Amino acid sequence: MASIHELLERGLQRVAEALVFAADTPVKPTEISEVYSEVTGEDRPTDSQVEEAVARLNIAYEETERSFRIEPWADGYRMATVSSVAPFLKCYFNREREQRLSRSLMETLAIIAYRQPVTKPEVDFVRGVDSGYAVNKLLEKGMIDVVGRSETLGRPLLYGTTEFFLEQFGLKGLKDLPDLREIEEILNDPAFNKERAQLLQLQQEEGFGDFTAGGAADDAQST
Amino acid sequence: MYRIRLEEFEGPLDLLLYFIKRDELDVFDIPIAQIADEYLEYVRVLEEVDLDSVGDFLYMAALLINIKARMLLPKQEVDEEGEPIDPRRELVERLLEYIRYKEASSFLVDLEQRRSERFTRGHASAEARKWESEAEISYDATVFDLISSLKRVLTEAPEEPSHSVVREEYTIEEQQEFILELLARERKVSFAVTMKGRSRAFIVTTFLSILELARQQRLRIALKKNDPSDFLLEYRKPPEDENDAEARSPLTNQS
Repeated sequence: MASIHELLERGLQRVAEALVFAADTPVKPTEISEVYSEVTGEDRPTDSQVEEAVARLNIAYEETERSFRIEPWADGYRMATVSSVAPFLKCYFNREREQRLSRSLMETLAIIAYRQPVTKPEVDFVRGVDSGYAVNKLLEKGMIDVVGRSETLGRPLLYGTTEFFLEQFGLKGLKDLPDLREIEEILNDPAFNKERAQLLQLQQEEGFGDFTAGGAADDAQST
Repeated sequence: MYRIRLEEFEGPLDLLLYFIKRDELDVFDIPIAQIADEYLEYVRVLEEVDLDSVGDFLYMAALLINIKARMLLPKQEVDEEGEPIDPRRELVERLLEYIRYKEASSFLVDLEQRRSERFTRGHASAEARKWESEAEISYDATVFDLISSLKRVLTEAPEEPSHSVVREEYTIEEQQEFILELLARERKVSFAVTMKGRSRAFIVTTFLSILELARQQRLRIALKKNDPSDFLLEYRKPPEDENDAEARSPLTNQS
């Protein structure tokens, strides 16, 4: 006979599964534990207990070859079909899911995601163009939101990404964003030619901190 | 609002990067003089098609020229520690920073791509809602697409719209002549009668020309009593031209 602990655990699994199944948006672990304790009168399970329950569900899905999993997106749980069945769903929904955001929107979103909280002038500066249109579009789409005001002159609005952004990009949290590559790394990329990488290494060996040091000598050659 | 993008150069930094990649230039040793010239050439083209964003490009062009000028100075600029400053430094730093975020943007594209393989509940309705407001941005048009669609619309447009308008070109000057000639002959005419059967354009232009003539004191306007729908125009002798008036046809009374 199953121990009481096991029964409770299974109860939590069932509650978690039911809530995540029925919800239209990611369900937070705290929401699951609150509901669970309110209805059963049991102590509130901890977030890690909820996490474990979800992990067990996913193992069960895996073992029984279910076509969906529970994903931890936007700090909550969301049921999503597995990638291997994507062609069928695309066919059913009658179209390819095309790339949603245009290049300028994606660029603006990247700057906001990595530098948040960030003001529009900062975004403009990085991109070298006025980003008002892109920022407004992203606000409209719910990808970003105003998160405060900067203390600098004019108190410009600060922007940050939303939970909707995390969900739409399949991220648990901002920590899960891929790391921005360091400039040195980018320059070592084959897209930039070897000479440049060598130059950089040379400068580092010579103890120049700045990558533009030694420019004066180079000027003569280039012009 | 619409934006026109020429090929892949969305912003001034993109354009610079394009030059650098195309000519395999050293990021740390950008031949500013050459780049600045090429850059300006591009800005000139841009001015023709997209005045909106040309400002951003002009700023960069000015920066390039500034750097070019500073590099021509015989005396090298130094920082507070006496180290020489490369005038291009700020630009290079900006370019590299921009490259980082362009990369970050491609990370997001990958994430979005991966996420798009996963379907969630409530997907269809949420999708549909999003797509309704989507049309505008998901279409990456070039200026050539826009021009060709304009061309198509223009050629497909019916020659004669439902309110077929034959454009009547009247100028105020012509109508002034017309009125003066008429008054020289008739001396006194009714506006309503004169305008009967005429087109709106004719009437409007004539009306404006009458106002102009009245201002120049070359005719008199008399409002008819009890009839606000019409007014009379009366010949007025040009003040400086006595002989001409006498030579005109004799006065004929209007009924």
